[in-house]
Amino acid sequence: MTTAVSKAGAGHTVAAPVSRPGKLHREGRAAYLFLSPALLFFCIFLILPFMFAIVLAFSNWGGFDLGTMKWSGIANFKEVLSFDGTFVKPILVNTLLFAFGAVFMATFGSVLVAYCIDRLSFQGFWRVLYFLPVVATVVAIGNVWKMMYQPAGLINAVLNKLGVNSVGFLSDASYALPSVTVVHAWASIGGAVLILTAGLKAIPDMYYEAAEMDGANSWHMFWSITLPLLRPALLFVLITQFIGGLQSFALIIVMTGDGGPVNATNVAAFEMYQRAFKYGAWGTASAMAMVLFVIILAITLLQLWVARRRGEETS
Amino acid sequence: MRISRGLGLAVAAGLLATVAACGGGSSSGGGGDKVELTLLSHYSDGPSKEGLDKMIQEWNKDNPKIQVKAQVVKFDDLLTTMTVRQTGGRGADIVSAYGLWGGQLMKANVVAKVPDDIAKKIKAEYSPAALGAVTTGDTLLGYPTELNTYVLFYNKKILAAAGITKPPTTWAELADAAKKTVKRDAKGNIQVEGLSLIQDGDNKSVHPFLSLLNSAGGKFLGPDGSPQFDNDQGKAALKFEADLAAAKATNPSISPTKQFRSGGVAMAIQAGWWIGSLKTQMKDKYGTDVGVAAIPGPTPGSKGSLAYGFFMGVNERSKHAAEAWKFLTWMNEHKASSGNVTETGKWLADQGLIPPRTADQEEYKKSLADPNMAPIYEAATYAMAEPNQPGAYEAKTALHNAIMGVLTNGASPDDALAQAAKAVKPQ
Repeated sequence: MTTAVSKAGAGHTVAAPVSRPGKLHREGRAAYLFLSPALLFFCIFLILPFMFAIVLAFSNWGGFDLGTMKWSGIANFKEVLSFDGTFVKPILVNTLLFAFGAVFMATFGSVLVAYCIDRLSFQGFWRVLYFLPVVATVVAIGNVWKMMYQPAGLINAVLNKLGVNSVGFLSDASYALPSVTVVHAWASIGGAVLILTAGLKAIPDMYYEAAEMDGANSWHMFWSITLPLLRPALLFVLITQFIGGLQSFALIIVMTGDGGPVNATNVAAFEMYQRAFKYGAWGTASAMAMVLFVIILAITLLQLWVARRRGEETS
Repeated sequence: MRISRGLGLAVAAGLLATVAACGGGSSSGGGGDKVELTLLSHYSDGPSKEGLDKMIQEWNKDNPKIQVKAQVVKFDDLLTTMTVRQTGGRGADIVSAYGLWGGQLMKANVVAKVPDDIAKKIKAEYSPAALGAVTTGDTLLGYPTELNTYVLFYNKKILAAAGITKPPTTWAELADAAKKTVKRDAKGNIQVEGLSLIQDGDNKSVHPFLSLLNSAGGKFLGPDGSPQFDNDQGKAALKFEADLAAAKATNPSISPTKQFRSGGVAMAIQAGWWIGSLKTQMKDKYGTDVGVAAIPGPTPGSKGSLAYGFFMGVNERSKHAAEAWKFLTWMNEHKASSGNVTETGKWLADQGLIPPRTADQEEYKKSLADPNMAPIYEAATYAMAEPNQPGAYEAKTALHNAIMGVLTNGASPDDALAQAAKAVKPQ
């Protein structure tokens, strides 16, 4: 290997590698060649559909035949963002309530569960137990909870035993969205627990030992050591959970079928699916997708910005 | 360089494979003059699948040069499968579709125009309700297949126990019977629902409502897709439902298809296909417990129903449209080996459906073994055909949300209908 010796400061010599343009160029070409299948995959299944969706958002298209596509300018966005329609309210509001509610419950629950598991024996068993809902299909989870929520289901039977009248968890518009949100949060705790447990394991014991010697109690240790050092893992959990929550719709289809009652559980991704695949309104569906994309991007950037201000490593 | 060349070849091969997979076209030509037609439908199990498969086998045996291959999915997946396959250039040659989707399929150039000679014959030989359900504007979409009408199903024993000896003939009698038959436990849970205003399938509250609307002389959509339900008839029909919900004689969370058979529902506005399921599920009890009558209107003598249909048409992109029409014509016109009905008519009647061909209907009406079938056949003569313009599906969903707002949230019928009418976009 050829090196050049240069003076750097008083009496210090630093060996710096000399670039060999020919070799690097070849290596770069090889790297690009090895990357090309993945790049091709992303182009075909991500970039091209994304570009197509942008074109569709400004068009009127009933699906099937590209020859029937007509340019419509910003008409789809006008329709989607109009306060007279249903997309802004209740659908976007439902989407945000669903995502924020599920993220709040899942994050709070997973921190609690991960913290408890970290102090238990047979940690592998507990982690597997909480991870099971992640492995189970959304259809299975949705159907089991749907049965439990029925007027004659398990939850109402317990309420009846306690002297409370049956609640229309999925048929009453005031309860339907919270009922589905709880299930989504419950089902996503397992994945978060796994990440947070890994985060907890990465915290060196010496901090706790030092705090113990200083007389700190469990709460102080949790608040002043665990939570701050868990922030990178928490940030990852928060971002992925938010994105998942904002895009979620499979559970809603399984549990309520049509986003009902009266649009009470209709969320943006479900409405997009309906518009495109049921009504053949691909233009408005794509405009909705763009609006949701911007919202997800804004929320994610906001989370990253807040994390950076608090000094977290986010790159 | 060898690696890069290899990678280049692999990428090129991958691209070629992708292009080959995506651009397969709608049908395969096969070897020599042989043509293979694909038929996409939701006849995925039971007698519906067996009957269709039998006809296809018979055709394939007699027509070695035009072979038909059935492709089936469940009804819930039919429209999305059609959308995805058609957009990807893999649409079936023959599509079986719900009439409600007809307008949007026609607008998107999915279904081909029915050849004039075939259209003329269909128009002359099929019942008005069947034709109405599969015609958008003036355009016939294909051969009508399934035809369903809505009627009032009732549990004779529950009605008799409440002192009601004959099925209701006016809205007042219907409401009275619903209120008399409803039973709740001490906690308020419904043990027996008086009248179910829900059915299974898409937009489950709309078909019973449209049947009541029709019985009051109202309409759903105009020829251009404009809302016609936000008027006195519509308000009266929805108020009728609202009053029953307020009296807790109806409850949208109760599914009649699950609870009627066990005596959990006294009356339900449902489609005729239900007869087949009830016979299987209730066995001997079907004969003693189940009665069927016309859906009454607000005044004595008035009645109404909704008719919806399916059709089989030919794909606009099919390379073998002539062969596809040849097969469809044979399928719909050839007689069954026994009797004077067509084999398609028999196939449908065996499933408890009304054959859409008038001659088949007349033949079956002569010898209806089950008296409950009579009101279902009768309804085909007066039922309002379900509209199917482009945008009809969206309009139906808007109406569903309005009805559910009244039934579950106690919304005002007038406001709900006004909101639904605002959401309907004439096209």
